[in-house]
Amino acid sequence: MSEHFTRRDLLHHAVRGTVLATLGGGAGFLVRKAHGQVVWQVDAARCLNSRLGEVGVAACNLCTTECVVSLSAVRAVNEHSRCGRCNICPAYFNITSAVDERGLPSEKLCPRDAITRRPIGKADPEDPANNFYEYLIDEEKCDGCGKCVMQCKEPLGLGSIVLRIRYNKCVDCNRCAISKACPKDALIRVPVEQAVT
Amino acid sequence: MQYQQVAVIGGKGPGPGQFRDSLRGIALDPAGNIYAANDSQITVFDAAGRLRRRWSTSQPAHSVAVAPDGAVYTGQIRQIEIFDSAGKLVYTWRDDALLGRVTAIGFVDADVLAGDATSRAIRRFDAAGKFRNNIGRDNPLNGLLIPNGVVDFGVDAHGIVHAANPGKHRVERYTPAGELLGHIGHFHGTDPAGFGGCCNPTNVAVRDRIYVTEKAGPRAKVYSFSGELEAVIASDVFDANCKNMSVAVDRRGRVHVADTVKLAIFVFEPVAL
Repeated sequence: MSEHFTRRDLLHHAVRGTVLATLGGGAGFLVRKAHGQVVWQVDAARCLNSRLGEVGVAACNLCTTECVVSLSAVRAVNEHSRCGRCNICPAYFNITSAVDERGLPSEKLCPRDAITRRPIGKADPEDPANNFYEYLIDEEKCDGCGKCVMQCKEPLGLGSIVLRIRYNKCVDCNRCAISKACPKDALIRVPVEQAVT
Repeated sequence: MQYQQVAVIGGKGPGPGQFRDSLRGIALDPAGNIYAANDSQITVFDAAGRLRRRWSTSQPAHSVAVAPDGAVYTGQIRQIEIFDSAGKLVYTWRDDALLGRVTAIGFVDADVLAGDATSRAIRRFDAAGKFRNNIGRDNPLNGLLIPNGVVDFGVDAHGIVHAANPGKHRVERYTPAGELLGHIGHFHGTDPAGFGGCCNPTNVAVRDRIYVTEKAGPRAKVYSFSGELEAVIASDVFDANCKNMSVAVDRRGRVHVADTVKLAIFVFEPVAL
């Protein structure tokens, strides 16, 4: 099967992926919770990795190191509707690594190689810069380290990648270790009806 | 080649010569007067940075350009407002189909070029407003890749259109009819001769050379027409969070750059070595 696909395929894929992710990893779990119950959530506007104005600082990985769950319950999620689909995505590539013979950075950013990409629509094999790409995050590999989130945000990127708690992995402890460690108080409690999945 | 900062114009604030919330575009007229598209108005300074006049636009102004006859064109969403040099509205050119968010305006002979960031294309119209052709829309594949939300271009003395194609890390050359002639630039994350990040350069101006601005980290640079980096004009003076910095160059080679966060126009001039 060709690795290339059309914009319609992309839309179908995005919708299906969203539904599956929602049912499997988020809302499907949440609907089983009682109305009025509260859950933890990462506030992207507070999170050091995604909030605007934080430039030139290292990515915060406390969601990875502090979560009581092995391979943290926090994952990086790409909101495809906001993604620029760039050829040289700073969340995908280590954009300061050496440039290879194709004119692309030679290293990827993700230490767990959790991000993959594929061209959208008609691809130009002669010139990778001519193509748009869809970026997919493998949540089984991602550990929520936040490096891609930090690189994706404005002004370098468009801020389409954010950190989210996966409620099918979160053990819902009332004393979330990440919230205690978070320097920006970005872990907040919200009613289950308002949780973003 | 080196540059030194010689002036800062405007700044964020409520004062008459300041910009309240936005500074999206700048342009110069042959006398060196500076036209700023800020908030929902056009603010005009003389070459020394003294406020001369200002007037309101009906919508937020996304770009500004001064036509050869002195008329002031302001790009907005789905329309271009045309004023005389005193700020009197002459005509509102509305086109729901061909004008989206107009982030750049230029002129070739009697034609008007409008950078439509919504459709990621440069629209070419004749003087009567009749559409002639697109530039950079699908050439050769996917055309202008504009993740940053701004289409910007400059026109050289020969009528060649130099368009920023940030997704490809290039400045592309087009004929007014839309034929792609070539490009300068390439990606590089550390070498200042390259364009870094996901999408740079964001803005371009053309006079005796090609002048560009980049985002993350913000900087202004100048290239020869054959693509050699001649100078990094400035970098540290700009707010680290700003992007889509409009750039304009006067006939003395003074480079004006609009910082979109500090809401100030930085002016640089070449230093004689």
